[in-house]
Amino acid sequence: MDLTVPTVDYADYTNRQLIALPLGLLAVALGILVVATAIAGSPVTLGIEFTGGAELQVETTDSPDQIRETFDEPVASITQVGTAGGDSYMVEFQEGEYEDLETLRTQAENEGYTIESSGTRSASFAAESQTQALIGLAIAFAGMAALVFLMFRTFVPSIAVVASAFSDIVIPLALMRLFDIELTLGTVAALLMLIGYSVDSDLLLNNHVLRRHGDFYTSTFRAMRTGVTMTVTSIAAMVVMTIVAGQFGIPLLPQVGIVLVFGLTADLMNTYLLNVSLLRYYKYEGIAQ
Amino acid sequence: MNLELRENWRIWLLVVFVLVSTIAVFAPLGSGSGGANATAANATADSTTSEYTNLKFGLELSGGTQVRAPLAGMTASGLEFSVDDEPAIERTVRDELDLGAGDVRADAEGNTVEVFDDRFVGNTNQSEFAAALAEAGFDVSEDDIRMGVTQTTRDRAEDVLTNKISQGGLPGGTVTQIASPGQQFMLVEVPNANRSEVIDLIGDRGQVETVALFPGENGTYRNVSLLTQRDFASIGGATQEQGRTFVPVTLTEQAGPQFGQAMRDFGFDQQGGTNCNYDLNESLAENKDNNPGRCLLTVLDGEVVFAAGINRDLSASFRDGSFDENPQYQTTTTSLEEARELELNIRAGALPTELDIDNRGTTYFLLPSLAERFKPLSLATGAAAVGAVALVVFLRYRRAEVAAPMLLTAAAEVYILLGFAAAVGLPLDLSHIAGFIAVIGTGVDDLVIIADEIMQQGEVRTSRVFESRFKKAFWVIGAAAATTIIAMSPLAVLSLGDLQGFAIITIVGVLIGVLITRPAYGDILRVLVLED
Repeated sequence: MDLTVPTVDYADYTNRQLIALPLGLLAVALGILVVATAIAGSPVTLGIEFTGGAELQVETTDSPDQIRETFDEPVASITQVGTAGGDSYMVEFQEGEYEDLETLRTQAENEGYTIESSGTRSASFAAESQTQALIGLAIAFAGMAALVFLMFRTFVPSIAVVASAFSDIVIPLALMRLFDIELTLGTVAALLMLIGYSVDSDLLLNNHVLRRHGDFYTSTFRAMRTGVTMTVTSIAAMVVMTIVAGQFGIPLLPQVGIVLVFGLTADLMNTYLLNVSLLRYYKYEGIAQ
Repeated sequence: MNLELRENWRIWLLVVFVLVSTIAVFAPLGSGSGGANATAANATADSTTSEYTNLKFGLELSGGTQVRAPLAGMTASGLEFSVDDEPAIERTVRDELDLGAGDVRADAEGNTVEVFDDRFVGNTNQSEFAAALAEAGFDVSEDDIRMGVTQTTRDRAEDVLTNKISQGGLPGGTVTQIASPGQQFMLVEVPNANRSEVIDLIGDRGQVETVALFPGENGTYRNVSLLTQRDFASIGGATQEQGRTFVPVTLTEQAGPQFGQAMRDFGFDQQGGTNCNYDLNESLAENKDNNPGRCLLTVLDGEVVFAAGINRDLSASFRDGSFDENPQYQTTTTSLEEARELELNIRAGALPTELDIDNRGTTYFLLPSLAERFKPLSLATGAAAVGAVALVVFLRYRRAEVAAPMLLTAAAEVYILLGFAAAVGLPLDLSHIAGFIAVIGTGVDDLVIIADEIMQQGEVRTSRVFESRFKKAFWVIGAAAATTIIAMSPLAVLSLGDLQGFAIITIVGVLIGVLITRPAYGDILRVLVLED
């Protein structure tokens, strides 16, 4: 296997052609989120951390259907934890559909289940967390955008970075909806991490093109060689973390990993199609006018 | 190889930090530097620190129970009144809102009046509290009342919770206050304890009252509250003797004579002691109608848990006043377990207000044996992620002298970060592990930037060329680090639980990386690659 970064002949394509794919995908992603909000009430499925409820991780040889029957209360979801075919299940209950956690625990214990973990989140606390997570995301994004504008002090290159970061977050959100991955504290952390991660390769590209001497295509190629290596390394680390932690049944880590994989992959596209063409427009037409 | 200090100070700085981290992580702290903090925390240390290192592990890696909930109550602040007015204000508000004795607190020093009741716990809302305050002579509107209690009350609650946990047989528990915009929470973490143990211990206020029940002048029964926790000077251990269980208590110098006087006034000093036929299965009102005789009731959080008459010797000591001099007696209970609970509640004190776990709290329990498994498994996950990074880096550069130091530098970064965690006593949780992996990710990104920049076409003949390329690489690295820190900082401040640890580790990791380890990699490259 030879890992040389492929050379793209950007000169063969117009800006319109380059920009079509990332903008198209962004539009589709936004469309998915809008439709999901209209149908389900929220752009992505919210985990109990944001809706309130109880969760119980049990170890049992019972099948998910048997687990459902064990509880008098309606079970919101059952997910298998750890290696496929293992005996651990995460069972969730929605706020208001159960009396209290202790009765749930008792039912599980009476059935001979081992309770590996259990937790409750009150609805008002969950609502508070939801607001805070949204505020956190908004502040982080605004802070990043402000910093980028401050660093480049020109509109087109700055907006290129910000737009590609925006798309790096929206596309994973849409993918989360499609793959039915819940928004939890872990995935929120991953989305925030994406703001930091995705900006790296964009900054590198802008820096090479704007602040260095030399031809646009040479600079882009150099930035790409470094940037693609960076992103591919990160994707490799996150793919491995997602798979390994998932197999081990470690919570939190797989969620963080999968969202970062989505986002970093989107970033490869956004940086080297969207950002590049905006920069080329700026370099050849924006400045000239 | 040229490892002269002046030219390669960045490498030496990294070495120093690695050594310092080694001390922080591995040096036995023992009795020495653990110092003042260690006495109370020793029990903590046993259950949450690792056997071989000074690293502390949080709940997710050690197992146990976590409870996070706000204290119930509302506060009106900025009210002007004097210390002498306090009792009158408390009485008025209490009567207006129909609350119990300990449920209103006026504090002239802090200019605040708080009630330990709100729309979640109990049934007082902000406008009712405002109306009650208006009755007490203050010009306040509903908007002046904020949810939550004062700092003094939170501090007191923290003390009481800490006492309850450490004396309740759950060693290693910690209680902390967490502030998030607009709300204050108490966070209780108890390793190795299961959920019900913890909730039983902290779920109630644990208010103990001793109430005298006796026939009044016209024959109807009266009940008068005589003692609360504060009136006890010392408490003996719960004891079982000849089938009788009791807790020996001694009253304070002030409370002793007052209690003796009350006993004489209410007729508990009668010859031969008093007889009590109180039925615990019936309510206080029902008992009053059944002529129970003179009883001392032990009331826990408003519920009568025990009732007893006064024996001959004790009533004699009330009569001759010797009780006033030496105010001790035994509080009898129905079982040893109850005696222990009573002892604990008297000892730990009452919570000023209830922790609202049901309506606004969260609880989390993790099986300790499962958590124990997470430690090596998350280490393995980290190692696998590093392996993946190594593979990609080797495939890209195909030169061991470029790729190997890259991995070593990234590893050093995590190692220094672990040193930081050990030094500040940060309990590691899964979110921190995720943070470590994120740091390795950004770290390697930056090292790739440095490597590509320094090894671009054209030999690095002079240190000037090297420094110039190094600076160029650093512009991007610095900018990327700044954005990561900005993106993470809201999380470090907001109280989103797990995420705070993740954000702190990422921010500190990026700082360590940018200031110490990543610059050193540039120097290492020069030594290994360019000067041979």
